[in-house]
Amino acid sequence: MSTVLHTHAEPAVVSTAGPRKRRTVSEADLRGRWWRFALILAITAVVLVPIFAVVVLAFTPAAASTTTGLTFENFASVFDKTLAGTWLGNSLMVTMATVVVSVAVAAPAGYVLSRGRSKAVSGYSLLLFVMQSLPIITSIVPLFILFANLGLADNLLGITIVYVASTMAVATWMMAAYFDSIPASLEEASWIDGCSVFGSFTKVVLRNSLPGVLSTAIFAFLLAWNDYLVAIVFLRSNEVFTLPVGVQSFFQQNATDWGSVMALAVVMMLPPIIVFAALNKYFSVGGIGGSLAGR
Amino acid sequence: MTTTTDTGLARARRGLAPGGPGRPARNRASRLSSQTTKTYFWLILPSVLLLLLINGYPLVYAAIQATHNGSLIEAGDFVGFANFTEVLASAAFWKAVQFTIVFTIVGVFGSWSVGLGLALLLRTRIPARGFFKVLLLLPWVVPIVVSSTSWNWLVASPGSPTSALFNALGLGTPLFLADPTLAQVTVCVFKVWISFPFMMMMSASALTSVDNTVYEAASMDGATRWQQFTGITLPLTARSTYISWILMTIFCVNDFPTIYLLTGGGPVDATTSLVVYAYRKVFQDFQTGPGVAIAFLMTLTLVIISTILYRQIRKSSVE
Repeated sequence: MSTVLHTHAEPAVVSTAGPRKRRTVSEADLRGRWWRFALILAITAVVLVPIFAVVVLAFTPAAASTTTGLTFENFASVFDKTLAGTWLGNSLMVTMATVVVSVAVAAPAGYVLSRGRSKAVSGYSLLLFVMQSLPIITSIVPLFILFANLGLADNLLGITIVYVASTMAVATWMMAAYFDSIPASLEEASWIDGCSVFGSFTKVVLRNSLPGVLSTAIFAFLLAWNDYLVAIVFLRSNEVFTLPVGVQSFFQQNATDWGSVMALAVVMMLPPIIVFAALNKYFSVGGIGGSLAGR
Repeated sequence: MTTTTDTGLARARRGLAPGGPGRPARNRASRLSSQTTKTYFWLILPSVLLLLLINGYPLVYAAIQATHNGSLIEAGDFVGFANFTEVLASAAFWKAVQFTIVFTIVGVFGSWSVGLGLALLLRTRIPARGFFKVLLLLPWVVPIVVSSTSWNWLVASPGSPTSALFNALGLGTPLFLADPTLAQVTVCVFKVWISFPFMMMMSASALTSVDNTVYEAASMDGATRWQQFTGITLPLTARSTYISWILMTIFCVNDFPTIYLLTGGGPVDATTSLVVYAYRKVFQDFQTGPGVAIAFLMTLTLVIISTILYRQIRKSSVE
């Protein structure tokens, strides 16, 4: 029903926007546009100074070096001097695992949150909200002791479990918010065709939720890739470091060797930038608000 | 399965259209309830287990630790509320409370005003708008380890453009990270720099729900830009604004890396927030009891505040 309504509504919107576009743009209007362009350009340039600095320093030869101009020396030396390759691999592994597991756990939970109407479901939603507001520092000490007994401290599996748990609240809200936008009539049609509730969730709802899944995946990716606190507490030996801990430990030992530090920093910031540049149109945090308030 | 078919047929006979978007209708839910409830139970179970194990269990354990005088390795003896009274009596704790409050207020309202301003600016017609939208998200996307390193270089390294700029302006060389007050300012600015893209995204998505014709009508009635902002934009996006404030408050209070990576809590504890204070108690002074007690006090405060606010939002969305 609603889809039909939607397609009817679309042309109406376009037709009101159409004439406005065709109207000749006044001189003042055009000038205003370029003023705003200049303004936003200046703001963006200032905001991005720290990021430019990383890139410039990474490609600037070290003081002792004989090369001039831009160079890849810093990258070669940092991969040579440190376990940067291993750290990068660790980070990639942990992040990928977090993304997959967190979507696999959050999607069904989000579906129940979206469709369920019992007291228990809204109670769970409140519980998620409370858990989200807990400082991780409270749970990290007990978790460290628990994981140390299980052999999961100083271990990549251990931090992956913690990351998945810390994505849970927001990931579940994001999925629920997306499922809210999928008409229940879709599932009802499949139920009439004899599909089970679970079957219609995987075959009908989930199949139509790619943007929601991607949005949640990006969130989990950023959380796991960027985390510092969990990694610094759990990871103790050089070979299991993830990039954040690796970069930080290298920075503390070589605080003046800016070229090498920044080369490692470039390696670390590239994956999230690539992911975001490629998938940014799917990412939306706005849904969280509705999802939080709607239950 | 027969129940499903029956419901479908019964609905068809009664001439009911399939449900609208989102939540299913109540009557259908009650008929299907037993099968549906069972499936829902299995669907939500992994999430519940994970939450209980990774968030619930440590909380109970933390309560035990907070009332014992143990260390990371041994449990220690039961000391009742001694850890709490010790913490509450120390000046360092209240100094950390103070900085946490300042940091949170600046973090929330600083990032909100910058984020909202940019979201409003990017709503107007500007060439290459989409490009700027993505570029401005970078501070939030780039790992904090990377940006803190870069900020460290920018504000505290003698060869950086910042010190060159201040020298050229005749302001000498400010000690951004070594002077207590300046370090506090720097950390707060750093936090706003990291967080405004999140607020920009929240505001932008709230603004898309505001109908443009409302503004057109208002400007026809002679409302100024400022009147439009306070009379239309703010009230119509109020709910989303409250939610973003709540989320950002939680993010700020719980924020460890932003502060720890830039200043380590110094100089002379000027930028030690509660989280940093708790971390140092546990992992540098090895005083698990007081450390966890601090974290516990924070948790309690946040849970109470967030539960009240959560109810408030839900109430406002029902009206």
